[in-house]
Amino acid sequence: MSQPDGEILLKLQTVVDGLFLDPPRMTHQTKATDVAEWDSLMQISILVAVEKEFGVRFRTGEVEATRNVGEFCALIRQRMVEP
Amino acid sequence: MEMSVHEAIRLLAAKGRTGDAGAFREFQELASHVKEADQLLMLANLAKKVFAQEVSNLPIVRMGLLGACTFHPWKHLLEVRLLGEGVRPLFTDGLFDNYTAEILEPGGILESGQQDFILLCPSAHRLIKPTLAQENGALGREMAATSARELLELCRKAHERTQAEIILANFPLPCRQDWGSFRNRTMATDWTFRRAVNLELGLTAPAFVRLCDREYLEARLGLEKAEDRRGWFESKQPGSPALLAVLASEVARLVAQVRSPMKKVLVLDLDNTLWGGVIGEDGLDGIELGDTSPRGEAFKDFQKYIKSLKDRGVLLAVCSKNDEAKALEPFEKHPEMVLKREDFVAFYANWEPKSENLCRMAAELRLGLDSFVFVDDNPAEVEIVRQFTPEVGRVLLGPDPAEHTAQLQDSRFFEPRQITKEDGVRSEQYHAEAQRKGMESQCADMDSYLASLEMVAVVQPFRLVDLPRIAQLIAKSNQFNVTTRRRTEAELTAISQNPEWGHFSVRLRDRFGDHGLISVVILHFKNGVAEIDTWLMSCRVLKRQVEEVVLNEILRQARGRGCREVTGFYLPTGKNGIVKDLFSRFGFIPQEKGEPGKCYGLTIQDFRPLVHRISLQQDEPT
Repeated sequence: MSQPDGEILLKLQTVVDGLFLDPPRMTHQTKATDVAEWDSLMQISILVAVEKEFGVRFRTGEVEATRNVGEFCALIRQRMVEP
Repeated sequence: MEMSVHEAIRLLAAKGRTGDAGAFREFQELASHVKEADQLLMLANLAKKVFAQEVSNLPIVRMGLLGACTFHPWKHLLEVRLLGEGVRPLFTDGLFDNYTAEILEPGGILESGQQDFILLCPSAHRLIKPTLAQENGALGREMAATSARELLELCRKAHERTQAEIILANFPLPCRQDWGSFRNRTMATDWTFRRAVNLELGLTAPAFVRLCDREYLEARLGLEKAEDRRGWFESKQPGSPALLAVLASEVARLVAQVRSPMKKVLVLDLDNTLWGGVIGEDGLDGIELGDTSPRGEAFKDFQKYIKSLKDRGVLLAVCSKNDEAKALEPFEKHPEMVLKREDFVAFYANWEPKSENLCRMAAELRLGLDSFVFVDDNPAEVEIVRQFTPEVGRVLLGPDPAEHTAQLQDSRFFEPRQITKEDGVRSEQYHAEAQRKGMESQCADMDSYLASLEMVAVVQPFRLVDLPRIAQLIAKSNQFNVTTRRRTEAELTAISQNPEWGHFSVRLRDRFGDHGLISVVILHFKNGVAEIDTWLMSCRVLKRQVEEVVLNEILRQARGRGCREVTGFYLPTGKNGIVKDLFSRFGFIPQEKGEPGKCYGLTIQDFRPLVHRISLQQDEPT
């Protein structure tokens, strides 16, 4: 059930590749503010796509609390284990 | 299917970036047809980043957005749909949940420029329904009628001020069980009460109000799929992404219907459209039509629906590749035919291309080609019509006749656009009745509206229990915030213990409920001057005269400390333009000092307490 963070990051990269015109390379340190194309509309697109692709549902307020892609991946993993 | 749409959008992005001339046309095609919210979001991204130039060449539609919800990202989905309809929206957002004041008070978005449409999504929480104890059947109905009337009066005011068409969303029904089957047995439940209000809105809305029928749209989508509690708590979304997509399509459709002429003529193929099989080959006995077989029954049912369209005023015509005598035979001799030859204003059964027949038909009936809708089960015929007479609306029927009626209905070509004369009279009657009953008085002007809110404010110094909320407002308020000074909870605690500083918070409630702690003020007393260090307010209570309450309290405290003057600073941040004129509005005089930003002063001696419609409660009972 649980996937290592590396695999989650890889899958997240494919989601991002499908959404951005110029897809950024995702690392655990990447932040939305580092990427010009990552605006509020893109943020919503990513969340909708991630919930679909990973089959997870985030709880209220927890995505906003993540500070970078690494924390976001950890959250995805947590919700895969504990929906 | 899903992947292929995504792939199509990816390919389109690449094509658009190379400057391909046809790419935007393809974009518009996709914009009209994709179904899912995530696909619309991808297209919104392309509209902004790839097709900005093409978009800027489209004609503009101006739309004011008012309501008790956030219009981001929903308005971007709507934009995509409107681009698909060939127009470019310019949106103006009203303040969150402030639509009554926006409509009744001078200024605001209704005066920020001409609007073609105003979209109003009212708050279900403002509906006041009877309690179970009060309810006796008649009271609930009367209250529902009153709610509808008040809302329609707001629409009328908005229309009178702007001449814009009003698109009014009605009320969504609750999704959860709550009352169980009892929900239908009393007007004291949201389920029944909202349905009653919606019914009243539908039956009495005047012609300039177009209803965005959320009750229907959410039922069609499924109430559970439409609901999104997380989205509400996180960012006041009206519903799930799936619902946003549905609402975007509907509003774009309403806009398009106002702008484009209505279809008048339904042109029908015969073989495998009105009956199963080919009359020229299968003969009168061989075609499928009538109650002896399931397929025959379905074709007959489709004919009944077409007949009902004729009864609504739609003109019927035939365009079929057949010998005319053969084509006429079922109309003359088949006992199960619902449609008769005399139901049709034109009958073209020949071997000419259908697009040419349509042109001749248009000339014969003296109608534009854009008044026609062509229905056929053969993709090749539909394609010819698309290529040679693109103005004609097209419906390609699927292989299963059971779906034909639904396909024609969901094409939405023959929805009525205008209400009839009789409807017009009815809406006048409703207006007269509203006036007679004095219902207008509730929202006739801003002052009586404010009085009707029965507002109560609690003004009190910072309390320990309130500090987390106060700190949160200080950290997050960007718009109504004159200085935007951020402070931690620890700093606030220090201030609240230092006699050089004054401070208070304001809570507000009204007859619709409690808004909680909505304003924070910090004063610094020094050399006979009370400086307004911080003054912020939650935007949802703008235009409620809370400003008056706050200023009275500032002056009361300053006087108590023996000050002669109150000074205020406006420090612009790019987000707080809303309070640019706050101080001058209340008689503060601009001063020389004060960089950056602007400093204002008020002599306490000259100040007379401001009048407002809010009752004050100095200390909250604990």
